[in-house]
Amino acid sequence: MIEDIIKAYNEAVYETDKDTAFEVVNGALAQGMSAEDIIFQVVIPAVEEMMSLIVKDPDANLAQHFMTAQIAAEVTEKMLLLFKFPPEIIGRVVIGTAAGDLHSLGKRIVMGCLKALMVEVIDLGVNVTAEKFVDAAVAHDAQVIGISAMMVHTAMGEHGCAEVRKLLKERGLEDKIKVIVGGAPYRYDAELYKNVGADTWANDGVSAGKVIVDLIKEVKSHVTA
Amino acid sequence: MSPLEILNATIAGQPTPRIPIFCNLLDQGARELGLPLKMYYSKGEYVAAGQLKLQKKYGYDNVWSLFYVGKEAELLGCNEILYADNGSPNVADFVIKNYDDIAKLEIPDDITAHPAWQETANCLKILREEVGNTHPICAYLTASTTMPALLMGMDKWMELLMGKDTDVCDELLRKCSLFFEKEVAAYRAAGANVLVYSTPFGSTSFVGMKRFQEFSLPWMQRDLAAGGVNNIVYYCGMAPFNNVITQIQETLCIGSYYISPMSDLAEAKAIIGKTALTCGVIEDIKLIHWSPTQTREEVKRLCEIGKVGGHFLFGTGVMPLQIPEENIVAMLDAAFEYGRF
Repeated sequence: MIEDIIKAYNEAVYETDKDTAFEVVNGALAQGMSAEDIIFQVVIPAVEEMMSLIVKDPDANLAQHFMTAQIAAEVTEKMLLLFKFPPEIIGRVVIGTAAGDLHSLGKRIVMGCLKALMVEVIDLGVNVTAEKFVDAAVAHDAQVIGISAMMVHTAMGEHGCAEVRKLLKERGLEDKIKVIVGGAPYRYDAELYKNVGADTWANDGVSAGKVIVDLIKEVKSHVTA
Repeated sequence: MSPLEILNATIAGQPTPRIPIFCNLLDQGARELGLPLKMYYSKGEYVAAGQLKLQKKYGYDNVWSLFYVGKEAELLGCNEILYADNGSPNVADFVIKNYDDIAKLEIPDDITAHPAWQETANCLKILREEVGNTHPICAYLTASTTMPALLMGMDKWMELLMGKDTDVCDELLRKCSLFFEKEVAAYRAAGANVLVYSTPFGSTSFVGMKRFQEFSLPWMQRDLAAGGVNNIVYYCGMAPFNNVITQIQETLCIGSYYISPMSDLAEAKAIIGKTALTCGVIEDIKLIHWSPTQTREEVKRLCEIGKVGGHFLFGTGVMPLQIPEENIVAMLDAAFEYGRF
C-alpha cells in the first residue's frame, strides 16, 4: 500500500498537480496511515526525490520547483495539525532577500521545502539589511542565514551577503551561523558565492532544502564537538 | 554599410562586411553622464544622451529606448520604483495586491497619452533624430504571460497561474495581451525597429512542455496577432529555449532568436539555419570576473560557431554595471575582429 501511495504522490508532485497530491494524502489518511508516516514516509522522500530529479532532469522547470514547494508546505501544514506530538525540528533558518532586492519567488520555494523537511523558517521578507539578518539569526538561535538575490548588484553589493559575512566575523559568529545564497546571478557564475563571502549556494530553491539541512547538521556537530 | 544596413542585410541573408554587434548597456548611461541612477531615469533626454554617448564610446551597433524593465508597470499604475546606486531599479509597488485588483486593472486606450510614456517618447524622438537612419533602436516589450510578474510579483503570479482560478487568470492575461498589442504599436510608431519580445514563459525552463504548448504558445500567438512579427526578437530572459525553436518558428514565424548563453549555440544555429537570425549571446555576468583574454576567447568561440553561413548577430544580456570597462572593450574588439567576413 505504502509503495502505491508514494508512487501516486510523487507523480502528482512531478506533474505539479496539487489536487491529486491532496487526494492521495486524504486517501492515505482514510486508509489509516498516520500523519507522521505521511510526512516522514511520503512527503519528505518526495521532496528529496524532486531534489535529485531536478538535478538530473534537464527538463525540470520553475513551475515544478514552485509546486513541489507549495504542495509540500501545504500538506505538511495540514498533517502537523494531526500529529500526536509536535515533531522534532532539526534546526532554524532565517531567510530573506538581500537589501535592495524585492524578488521573493526563490525564497518562497526554499521555505516550502524547508517546512516539509522539519526546519523552522523565520521569514524576514524582502529588502532585508545585513544587520537584520544577523540580529534575527542570533535572536532565533538559527544555524543558517539564507539570502536570496535575483540581481547582480544585490548579490554582489556591499550591503548584501558581503556585509552579513563582515558582521558575523566581527561578532565572532562564523562557526555558529552559516550563510547560504541563491538566485540567478549565482547560477550564471558558480564561483560568485565565494566572492560575496557565503559558505555555500544552491542552484535552485528545491535543492537549497538539502544544502541547508546539511549546513544545520554541520553547525550542530561543530557546536556539540 | 551603416549598422542598420548591416542588420537588415544579415536578416535578409545578403553579404555584409561583418556580423551585427549588439551590446546592451543601460545603467552605464548614468555613469557616462555623471548622474545618479534615479535622476538619469527621470528624463528621456538623459537616457537618450546616455545611450548615444555609450554607443559612440564603444562603437557597437544598437541603442536602447528601455529605461529599466519595471518601466512598463508604470504605464499600468505602478507608482513606486526602488532605485539603487549600483544596479537596475525594481518595481516596489505592485499594482495588483490581491485578485480583486485584476478586475479593476485598466489598460489605457491610448498608452501614448499616459504620462509615464512621455519620457520614453522623448527618448525615442532624440534617438530617432540622431541615429534613426543609421542604427537599430531597440525596445523591450514584456509578453502577456510574463507581464503579471511585474504587476503582482512572480510568486503571486505563479500561484495564480498554477491554481484553480482560471477565469481570473485569463482575465489578467487578456488585459496584459491587450496592453502588449498597444505597446508594440506605440513603439513601432515612435521609431523602435528591434522589438525584443521578453517571454520567459516561452522557455520550458519556466513551464513544462505541455504547459508551453497549451498556455504559452497560444498566448504568444494572441500577443503577436494584431501587430505581426516584423522586427520581433524572441527572448526568454536568458533562459534556454532551443528545444522549442522549431515549434515557435512553425507557430509564430518570428524572424530572430536571442539564444540563451546556457544553451548550445551550435545546436540553435543548426536548427535555425538560414530561416531566421540566430543571436549568439555571451554569458555577461562572467565578464565581471573574467580577464580580457578570457572574454576575447569566449567571443571568438561564439563568433566561430555562429557566423558560418551568416544570419548571425553577436549580443549580450543586460550588462551589469559591475563589468569592468576593459572587459567591455575586450568583448567588443573581439566581436569586431572575429565577426568580420
